[in-house]
Amino acid sequence: MNPEVLLSLIIFAPAVGAFFLAFMDGRAVDQLRGFTLFTTIVTFGLSILLWVQFDSSVSGIQMAVELPWIPSWNIWYRLGVDGISLPLVLLTGLVSMLAAVASWSINRLHKGYFILFLLLESGMMGVFLALDFFLFYVFWEVMLLPMYFLIGIWGGPRKEYAAIKFFLFTLAGSILMLIAMLMLYFQTGGQEHSFNLIELARVASGTSEHLTQGLTPSMQITAFILLFIGFAIKMPVVPVHTWLPDAHVEAPTPISMILAGVLLKMGGYGIIRIAFPLCPWGTQAAAWVLVAIGAISIIYGAFAALAQTDFKRLVAYSSVSHMGYVLIGLAVWKMNEASQTVNADMWNMGISGAMFQMIAHGISSSGMFFMVGVIYDRVHHRNLNEFGGLTARMPLYSGLSAGIFFAGLGLPGLCGFIGEVFVVLSSWNFSHVLAVIAASGVILTAGYILWALQRVYLGPEYKGPHAEDITPISTREATVGAVLLALAIILGVFPNLLFSMMNASITELVTHMQTGYEHAAAAVQNLQAMR
Amino acid sequence: MGDTLKTLLMIAWLLPLFGFAVEILWGPRGDRRTTRWPAWMAVACIGSGFLCSLSALLIWGSGTDWAVLQSHDSHDAGHAAPSDTHHEGVEPQEHPAHESAQQNPIRPTAPVRANDAARWHLTTAADGHASDAHQNAHTAAGHTDSPSDSAASSHGQVPLVYHGTIYRLAAFGSLILSIDYYIDSLTLVMFTMVTLIATCIHLFAIGYMSDELTDEYVDHFVHTSDGGHLHRQGRFYRFFAFLSLFCFSMLGLVLAGNIFQVFIFWELVGICSYLLIGFYTERHSASTAANKAFIMNRVGDFGFLIGLMVIWTWFGTFQFSDLFASLPRDDAGRVVTGEYGEVALALPDGSSKQIPYTLLVVAGLGVFAGCIGKSAQFPLQTWLPDAMEGPTPVSALVHSATMVAAGVYLTGRFYPMFVPEVLLVIAYIGAVTLFLAATIAVVATDIKKVLAYSTISQLGYMVLGLGVFGWAAGLFHLITHAFFKSLMFLCSGSVIHGCHHEQEMTRMGGLRHRMPITAFTMLVGVIAIAGLSIPGLIAFSGYHSKDAIVATALAFIQANPGHFLLFLLPLLTAGITAFYMFRLWFMTFAGEPRDAHVYDHAHESPWIMTLPLLILAPLAAFCATGGEDGLLYRLLAGSEPNYVAAGVSSTASGLTLPGHHAIHEVHSTAGTWALVAAIAGTLLAWVLYGTKAVRVEDMKRQMAGLHRFLTHKWYFDELYDALFVQPVHQVARFFAWIDRTLIDGIVHFAARLTVLASRWDRLFDELFIDGLVNLVGRATFSVGRSFHVVQTGRLRQYVMFIVVGVVALFAVLFTTFPR
Repeated sequence: MNPEVLLSLIIFAPAVGAFFLAFMDGRAVDQLRGFTLFTTIVTFGLSILLWVQFDSSVSGIQMAVELPWIPSWNIWYRLGVDGISLPLVLLTGLVSMLAAVASWSINRLHKGYFILFLLLESGMMGVFLALDFFLFYVFWEVMLLPMYFLIGIWGGPRKEYAAIKFFLFTLAGSILMLIAMLMLYFQTGGQEHSFNLIELARVASGTSEHLTQGLTPSMQITAFILLFIGFAIKMPVVPVHTWLPDAHVEAPTPISMILAGVLLKMGGYGIIRIAFPLCPWGTQAAAWVLVAIGAISIIYGAFAALAQTDFKRLVAYSSVSHMGYVLIGLAVWKMNEASQTVNADMWNMGISGAMFQMIAHGISSSGMFFMVGVIYDRVHHRNLNEFGGLTARMPLYSGLSAGIFFAGLGLPGLCGFIGEVFVVLSSWNFSHVLAVIAASGVILTAGYILWALQRVYLGPEYKGPHAEDITPISTREATVGAVLLALAIILGVFPNLLFSMMNASITELVTHMQTGYEHAAAAVQNLQAMR
Repeated sequence: MGDTLKTLLMIAWLLPLFGFAVEILWGPRGDRRTTRWPAWMAVACIGSGFLCSLSALLIWGSGTDWAVLQSHDSHDAGHAAPSDTHHEGVEPQEHPAHESAQQNPIRPTAPVRANDAARWHLTTAADGHASDAHQNAHTAAGHTDSPSDSAASSHGQVPLVYHGTIYRLAAFGSLILSIDYYIDSLTLVMFTMVTLIATCIHLFAIGYMSDELTDEYVDHFVHTSDGGHLHRQGRFYRFFAFLSLFCFSMLGLVLAGNIFQVFIFWELVGICSYLLIGFYTERHSASTAANKAFIMNRVGDFGFLIGLMVIWTWFGTFQFSDLFASLPRDDAGRVVTGEYGEVALALPDGSSKQIPYTLLVVAGLGVFAGCIGKSAQFPLQTWLPDAMEGPTPVSALVHSATMVAAGVYLTGRFYPMFVPEVLLVIAYIGAVTLFLAATIAVVATDIKKVLAYSTISQLGYMVLGLGVFGWAAGLFHLITHAFFKSLMFLCSGSVIHGCHHEQEMTRMGGLRHRMPITAFTMLVGVIAIAGLSIPGLIAFSGYHSKDAIVATALAFIQANPGHFLLFLLPLLTAGITAFYMFRLWFMTFAGEPRDAHVYDHAHESPWIMTLPLLILAPLAAFCATGGEDGLLYRLLAGSEPNYVAAGVSSTASGLTLPGHHAIHEVHSTAGTWALVAAIAGTLLAWVLYGTKAVRVEDMKRQMAGLHRFLTHKWYFDELYDALFVQPVHQVARFFAWIDRTLIDGIVHFAARLTVLASRWDRLFDELFIDGLVNLVGRATFSVGRSFHVVQTGRLRQYVMFIVVGVVALFAVLFTTFPR
């Protein structure tokens, strides 16, 4: 298919679906569900088509789309895909589809829910496919509003609090990103200003043909910090993570799945797509802090998870812990005195591991949230100390849950292991201490996951309320769980499926960062020489 | 031949995985729950696996004309080697300055790389075609060396290894991770041993687990809230599914061609162990024991991971063959260090890299930390006794014969990477463990707990053996122990089954009348583990393998007298071992019944359970026949790293590692000592438990303090709980508190501050800004209002204003501006 059509379709097919939903009868619940599911399946199918057309041996952007949008500001409708965005597009399509299946449990205001749900998917796809900073920002904000309402209307008891907290945190990040965006727009370029992310990256490495002037090294650092904080909130990392447990606990199950499966990845994606290539000098300056924050997140999140009594909160904190690995993997960029990357392959491995971890976490954590949702739908509580004995009552459900939780635990043969261990292996090259801290996470992770499994699934009998409502898992629910578990196994056994998709792009990124750093280092030397 | 071996072993490896998939997916449906087909499926898979492994071993043997058996007589080689070893060992001391990488010819230590012309090696073609590993036949003739040819005995004795890649996991530039295979005689022996024992245990389990073949299983160990026992569906299929998955993981671990792959399967056997220990999910003790096992293993794996990080960063590869070849050793087997204690690595891509010696130590200790966890060595030993919560066949297979031996296996496999300092730590860990566990076994009364502690203790022997440079001795004991310990566990399983799940030995006694086969086969195992023999006439396997270890230890302390504990502890423990094992046998099978009820209902197990015992018993007794000239030892020794035979003298830290020659010289001395200790232990057990000469209860009272100390397992559980478990929970609560109170506190404070500010803003708006606006408004209004007086609307008055105004204007103009 023509790339312009394909990419735009992937983004707007859900929105078109939402448009049609608006004219459907709000009482025909099954039709609404069916149509939403159909739309998400079409979108996922389109993203598969994108994968088929994708050539993983090409390192740069493929299937680029460029249409003028607001010419007076040089804002374009720019889309494209490379090895970094493609896996995330696929993940978004998949998780949205499964979340649509999980949305059967929504029991009020169906029409509004499904419209917002589809708009949300459009926004997420847009974020991953946009290559114009302005467009990216627009999609970033577009995705924010449906999420706010989805939590705020269909959420649990403290939904307003959670929704506002989510909204304000993200908005604070957005504003920092906006400042950085304007800074990049006005401070780079010379004759012409641009929001084109690819050109802005080229400016940073001094290879742009259109834009002549780049950020000074010190401004790069400022821009990087602004961008990083913006994305770090989304990721989230300690200490800007506290919106996450609240949002997760209050959000309905399918929205939790999307939140954990896709939205958190936007933080990581933003860092790797925008913050890194646009500010190589800033990245290097902040690398140690980034890795340290990642290590702290791992440990902090794991400890906090250990102390939770709410099942969903525990899973939420496990997300904080797991996303710490992503940050570490991205940032293990070690420089020597001569401005050369030390063991560039190792950093390549770190970034690849981080990307893998994002996908793996998208699968395992959305699965975990789904599994919590399944039992919550039956007994309407999440108190870890009031479960037990589910293996006997719901054997298939317990088996699937165990598999998915083991994926979260980082068991070899399942997806979580590859991401974690690759990141950890690549980190010794950067810093011994931080590597050891990161590695120690494996003990705590095993601790909180196994303890939770023991309290929920094992034991002689169920201890909580609504024992009579415990029914075996339905086929619909089992399908969602089985698909996620199967993917976890496939990726865990054949990780090269994913790595080979990303390899060329990540290798190019590593080279680009090196050139960008040298470019900035030369600028610094010039400045010193002038003094 | 390499391809054939690879194919056979891969079939043996993957069949159980297939079995697992079938059993777990089709097992739970309908009435299949209550049939035995999952068991037969599992038996078929692992049994075929055994046939494959055995044929692989035979093919390997005939392909090499059984060279390992005919090759050098170990003693002769030992005689030939030492003269020049001593020579080389002394020289560097005299001229320390000469000890540098340049002057000492660097000889690759590894089994694999030593002779590239005669080597199979993985083609570097990037696409991971495993079978591309092409053969440069390394025929047997190449390394059947004559004793007189000392050069050949030190250089040519390269073990035969086949290795290659199965498929690739990932590649980042020059860094490549893959699933590999590595086949030498150790792999083959392990494969055969694991599949054989597993087959026996599968058969046994068909009988042992048969009470799960029901929809109404009653678990007498679990009480429900209404006071009754728990009723649940049987889980026969699940048990065999897990066993199959375990076999797959274990064989994968053995087949692994790189250390990362070992780590993968390491964790997988861990999770299988978790699933099997916690098989009775309803029992809180079982699920807690499962958690404990997995988490304590993860503590070890944390160390393992650190080791992996160091290796990955510095060597850039995980492949055994590349790693072993990268570490430079001189002709005496010492790791070559530079002036500042750095080691120049010869990396597979041809480049060289300087690694600090300390990091080699860190890497070695890290990997060994994993072994400590897996093989339940001190200080991570406490999980293994708890693991006895699993069904007895699991204890036999997973927690004595195979998985826990994986730590020892890895220590052996990764041997060339362990520098002498690490070996010393390994030796001490083994020595402490073997003693500590044996003392606890003396007071344990649960039949499985005794065996569990005995397992820990025997694993300690193996670890010690490896640590004191008895490479083959340690692994020798691994294999013999696997046979006799699995036999004894199955016997205990038979006892437990026959006594209707009674495990306390204090309620047994005299059972040999009720279950003669079990009693007899158990006695075979007991004699084997105790290391009893009639010298020159008959000796069971344990005698040979333990002797080998004790002899190595003696040779080690003769060379390094400061480390005398490394000999004293195992010698002492040899006596303790014989004591507690015979105590077990006497308490269970001999004497008068202590509990009439148990005795009356006891019965011999069905044939499906006694058949495995009868298969295993002769193996346990005679698998090591011939000792160090026997088949098993020779097979293993064929894979020994080539610098081990001659020993390594005067390493940087002053240790001397004994060679075969030195060990051989003290062999008979050590053997005698060990035998004396074992006989003493046996006699003591007989006096205390076989006769009624001494009242054991009195002894217990007299040594109540010691007894309590031992029954509380040296208080390790309490210590760890206070040191680690509680603090972790406290820290966790603290972090959760920080989240809720501190971070969210700040967020909420900021939010309230914003609200407050906006209130002030409103006040400011209303009072000040609006006030100002209103003021202006009011002022304007009042000004306008004041004009009200003059704005009358009467024309005459306006005309008058204009006239007055004009006159005034002119007056001003005329007065101010001069003409």
